[in-house]
Amino acid sequence: MRVLVFSHYLDLAGELISAGMGVGEVSLLLTSDQKDKLAQVRGARRAIVCDSISSDDQAALIDLLTEVTRDHDLLVLSSDKRARELAGQVAQMLERPIATEVSSMRSEEGKLVVERMTLGGKAIAVEELPLPAIVTVQKGKFKPPEGPSVQEVVEVKLGGATRRYEVVERRAKPKLGIPLDKAEVVIAVGRGFRRKEDLKLAYELAETLGGVVGCTRPLAADLKWMPEESWIGISGVRISPKLLLVIGASGQQQFSAGIMDSKVIVAINNDPQAPIFENSDYGVVRDLYEFLPALVERLRR
Amino acid sequence: MDIAVLVKQSLDVQQLVVDRSSGKIYLDEAPTKAGDIEINAAEEAVRIKERVGGKATAIMLSCWGTSGRRIKEARESLTRLLAMGLDEAILLLGSQGMDSYAASKVIAEEVRAGSYQLVLAGEGSEDNFSGILPGRVAAELEWPYVAYATAIEVSGNELKVTRSLEDYDEVISLRLPAVISVTQEINQPRIPTVLHIMKAAKKPIVQKEVGSFSPKVKVRELKTLKVERRREIIEGDLDESLEKLLKFLKSEGLIEVRS
Ligand SMILES: Cc1cc2nc3c(=O)[nH]c(=O)nc-3n(C[C@H](O)[C@H](O)[C@H](O)COP(=O)(O)OP(=O)(O)OC[C@H]3O[C@@H](n4cnc5c(N)ncnc54)[C@H](O)[C@@H]3O)c2cc1C
Repeated sequence: MRVLVFSHYLDLAGELISAGMGVGEVSLLLTSDQKDKLAQVRGARRAIVCDSISSDDQAALIDLLTEVTRDHDLLVLSSDKRARELAGQVAQMLERPIATEVSSMRSEEGKLVVERMTLGGKAIAVEELPLPAIVTVQKGKFKPPEGPSVQEVVEVKLGGATRRYEVVERRAKPKLGIPLDKAEVVIAVGRGFRRKEDLKLAYELAETLGGVVGCTRPLAADLKWMPEESWIGISGVRISPKLLLVIGASGQQQFSAGIMDSKVIVAINNDPQAPIFENSDYGVVRDLYEFLPALVERLRR
Repeated sequence: MDIAVLVKQSLDVQQLVVDRSSGKIYLDEAPTKAGDIEINAAEEAVRIKERVGGKATAIMLSCWGTSGRRIKEARESLTRLLAMGLDEAILLLGSQGMDSYAASKVIAEEVRAGSYQLVLAGEGSEDNFSGILPGRVAAELEWPYVAYATAIEVSGNELKVTRSLEDYDEVISLRLPAVISVTQEINQPRIPTVLHIMKAAKKPIVQKEVGSFSPKVKVRELKTLKVERRREIIEGDLDESLEKLLKFLKSEGLIEVRS
């Protein structure tokens, strides 16, 4: 099977190549801004380099991806927002099936069989896709390959891409490199915290436990109390720590979908009916403003 | 401006019951509803209409069967959207096995039949959250697509869309017609009053059977997740619950405590 791999974030390409290697021979598509990293790529047999389009040019990438994907049985993308914006359009243009956030895949008699989380994280769907197909891969599920470096480099040219829109302004978001998805201890905070300053309580706890602080979507996206990359859940980061403390978060399914792989979950919430208790190993029904300072004090002792 | 708002009739995953021991997932028993983010999309349509005039229509595709109960739930969700200020609603009766390929064919066909210039959708549905459908519909219509909008400005034929990506905020300028998906942060949807809901009951909901496009993806199986949580509630006064929690964490080898 001919597999094409592309990601806007070249550091994710290893995982995608590894996913692709499990079912076929991999070609990696590199844009003008990515091609100087070619020497670092492992496991892909071929690199397809496009010199005229850069990875931040979504409007032009649609045409490039559609063209190059045409000659491949499978397109493997990462599951970030840019990839998903493109994936649906490319899939419909080529009339291909798609599966998103795939955590495993294998080929079976000319079909691709994948597993993916669905129903807000309550179930895993086993899906069968006829080939040719498109998948986006869940972050962290495939290990980047060792493998040899690229053996063949092919150039592609794309004449006159249709410009569907113009980006007139671009503002970088603060990037702190918070290693939530790799942390062993995570403190997840929610709207139970009444003011931004009160998050200090969570940071103190994180410090005593050697953990990292993450949050629910509203704290990052709405209130902007925490950076974007700290938000956990179906539309944010999926985490798998040894210990997760969820504090002042209700545990709506869209949040809980991101914490399923945690080993031990402790919830602190003053509402005994909060759904988070259903998804926890230990639940403390208490006011966080009373419990947290006492916990930190006790741990420091 | 003539706006279509795409609304999925999603399974209410919060209320979905799964039995981990038997592996049974009670799909038919769970209620369905319009997804929260689609309600944001509807609110945005009403706000655009308030600024530049025009008409807004909800297009809902039923994906969880067409039993009497499912149709009733769908109509109730649509009535609520009408009460927020949408003008009309179209309920497309689709089949349960539809994938995003077939669904977007059906939806694009409905959009083409109208005179819409703007299609609004949510960034992802509540039950599946793949976020693929709006892009598919855009490609089917050959309209430009911008995802993850946090603000939309309209001036004449031009749109200025602010959108949020993982690493950047972008402002994008494009021409109508277009497909835009919005995030939850774009607005705070209004809560319709009882009076609005009563009035909305008079607005039209057109129910239609849809053309059949065979799906490409087949769901072989739905499995429950293996993780089983202990669900122990720690009770007692403050000191006692602290000690209990620390004891648990210690027994799991997660912390070291000096006593
Ligand atoms: C399609 C979609 C995708 C989404 N994706 C995500 C996602 O990826 N991540 C995410 O987090 N959300 C996501 N959401 C939003 C999600 O549904 C919830 O709205 C959100 O997770 C709620 O955040 P919260 O728990 O902080 O706030 P709330 O739901 O308001 O919960 C606050 C909790 O704090 C408790 N509390 C209040 N005061 C105290 C106190 N003094 N002491 C102790 N406890 C207290 C309350 O009892 C309550 O349970 C998504 C929604 C949709 C529709």
